[in-house]
Amino acid sequence: MADFLSMYSVQHWLESCPQGYLRNTEYGHHPGEKEPELLLGDSLLREQAIGVTVQLVVGERCALAASSGLVGSAPDEASKCFLATQTLDEARHVEVFTQRLFDLGVPRTELESTIQRLANPNLVRFAEVLLEKVDRKDFVAGVVGQNVVLEGMAFTVFEMMYAGNQALNPKFAHTLSGTIADERRHVGFGENRIGALIQEHPHKRPEIERMQKEMSYWMLATFADSFRGTPAREEARRLRASLSGSGAPKAEWHGADLDALEPEEMEHLLADTVLKEFKVRLGRIGLEYQTPARP
Amino acid sequence: MSEQSPDVHALDPESFLEEVHSFEFWFHSVEGYLSGQTYGHRPDVHGAPLAPDERERLVTVLCNYCIGETAALEGASGLVAIAPNRHTKVFLATQVVDEGRHLEVLLHRLTDVGVHAPEAEIERRATRSLLQFKRRLLELVETRDWEAAIFAQNVILEAMEFTVFQTHARTADLVTREVLNGIVKDERRHMGFGENELGRRLKLTPHIRARLGEVKKELDHLVLESFEETLRALAVPAAERPELGRHYLEVVARLGFA
Repeated sequence: MADFLSMYSVQHWLESCPQGYLRNTEYGHHPGEKEPELLLGDSLLREQAIGVTVQLVVGERCALAASSGLVGSAPDEASKCFLATQTLDEARHVEVFTQRLFDLGVPRTELESTIQRLANPNLVRFAEVLLEKVDRKDFVAGVVGQNVVLEGMAFTVFEMMYAGNQALNPKFAHTLSGTIADERRHVGFGENRIGALIQEHPHKRPEIERMQKEMSYWMLATFADSFRGTPAREEARRLRASLSGSGAPKAEWHGADLDALEPEEMEHLLADTVLKEFKVRLGRIGLEYQTPARP
Repeated sequence: MSEQSPDVHALDPESFLEEVHSFEFWFHSVEGYLSGQTYGHRPDVHGAPLAPDERERLVTVLCNYCIGETAALEGASGLVAIAPNRHTKVFLATQVVDEGRHLEVLLHRLTDVGVHAPEAEIERRATRSLLQFKRRLLELVETRDWEAAIFAQNVILEAMEFTVFQTHARTADLVTREVLNGIVKDERRHMGFGENELGRRLKLTPHIRARLGEVKKELDHLVLESFEETLRALAVPAAERPELGRHYLEVVARLGFA
C-alpha cells in the first residue's frame, strides 16, 4: 500500500499539478484568455452561463468542505497527505469558478446573493447528504461519497462541458481541463484506497449503498432541473452556427453530437454515463450499485 | 501559473486579501523554494552518515515534529469549515497542503535514517505534553471558536514550530537543515496570516484579547513543557534548556501577543 500511496503524495502532486499541467495558467486558463464576446453580449446566454457556473461553485464548495473535513478522520498519514492535496485542489476549483462568475459580470459584492439565488436546491441536498457523513467523521462513507460519487459526477459533467466548450469558449474549456485532471486523481484515490477499507469494514456496506442511492437521486434531480428549462438553447445553437462558418469542429461526446441533441436527450446521455461509471467504480471497491428513483 | 501582479500593496484592502490568500499567490510563494526539490531538499544533497547517538536523537525530534505537523494538518483542515469567508477558506486550504507536505517530508526523513515503521516509532517516542497540546488545539477547532482556534493554530503552534525548526536547522545535518529551512519559510506565511486575521479582529473587538490571553496561558505551559521533555530526551544540559522557551515567547510577543 505504501507504494500505491506514493502516487498520491504531496511530492507527486507538486510535480504533476502546480509544476505540471497548471504551469503558465491563470485561474486555470491561458493568460489573457477572455469569455467570448458573443456570450458576454447576449444577456440570455450570459445569464445561463452564470447559472451553470454557480452550480459548479456550489459543488466545489461542498468538495472543499468534504475533503478538508476528512483529513482528521483519515486512518493513516499517507491518506491525510493526499487529502491535503485534494483540499487545495478543491479550493482552487472554488477560486477559478468564482473568478469565472466575476468574468461573466457578477459584481463582487453580489457574489453570495447570486449563489444563493441560483443554487439548485437539489444540488444543495446532494451536498448535505455527503457532509452529514463527513461531520460524523465516517471516513469510509465520506470518501465513497466524495471521491467516488461527487468526484465521479464532476468528472463526467466537466468532460461533457469540455466537449461542448472546446470550440465555443476555449477559456472555459481550458479551465475545465485542469479540473478534469484533478478529478481523475481524486477518483483514482477513492477507488484504490477505499476498496481495502470496505473489506475491513463490511458492515458499512448497506449504509454506504443507501447514501449512494440518495446522492444519485439528488444528482438526477439537479440534472433534470438544469436541462428541462434552458431558454438559451436556441441562442447557443446560433452561437455555434456562427462559429461553424469559421471551421469550428462539432461538439462530440460519447459518440453524440451535442448540438443535435434535444435537452432531454442530453440529460439522459449525461445521467446514463454518470450512473454507468458509478456502477463500474462501486463494483471495483466491492459495493453494489443501487438504482436511484428517477425524479 | 502566470506572472504575479507587480505590487499587491497598491491594492485596496479587500482586493489585497483576495490576492494574498489565493491559490495563485501561494503557488508563486512556494515555487521559488520548492521547485526542483525532492521531499524538501535538493536531490543531490546527501548528509554524512550519522553516529548512532546522533541518529537516535534525530529520530526522537523528528517523531515529535511529526506530531506537531499532524496537529497542524488536522487543525488547519478543521479550520476550513469554520473560516468566516471565501478568502480565508482558500488560504487555509493552501496551509493544509503546506502542513501535509511538512508531515510528508519529515516522515520521509525518518525513513531516510532507517526508521522502517515511522507511525509506530512516532507513537513510541511522543512526548506527553505535545500530545496534550494537539488534543487541546483540536478541541478548540471542534468547538468552532474561530478566534481561539486560529490563535492556537497560526500563532502559538506556528511560532513553536518556527522557533524549534529555526534553532535546530542551525546545527542539523545538511539534509535535515534544508528540509527544516523549507518548512520555516511556510511557517512565516502562516504566522503572517494569523497575525493579520487576529490583528483586524482585535481592532474591531478588543475584548477578545482577554480570551486569547487565557488560551495563551494554557498553551504556553504545554509548549514550554514539550520543549523541556524533548530537550531532556536529547540530553541537553538543564542550564541551556530555557533558551528555546525564551525564544518562542519572544516570537509570540513580536506577533503582538505578549
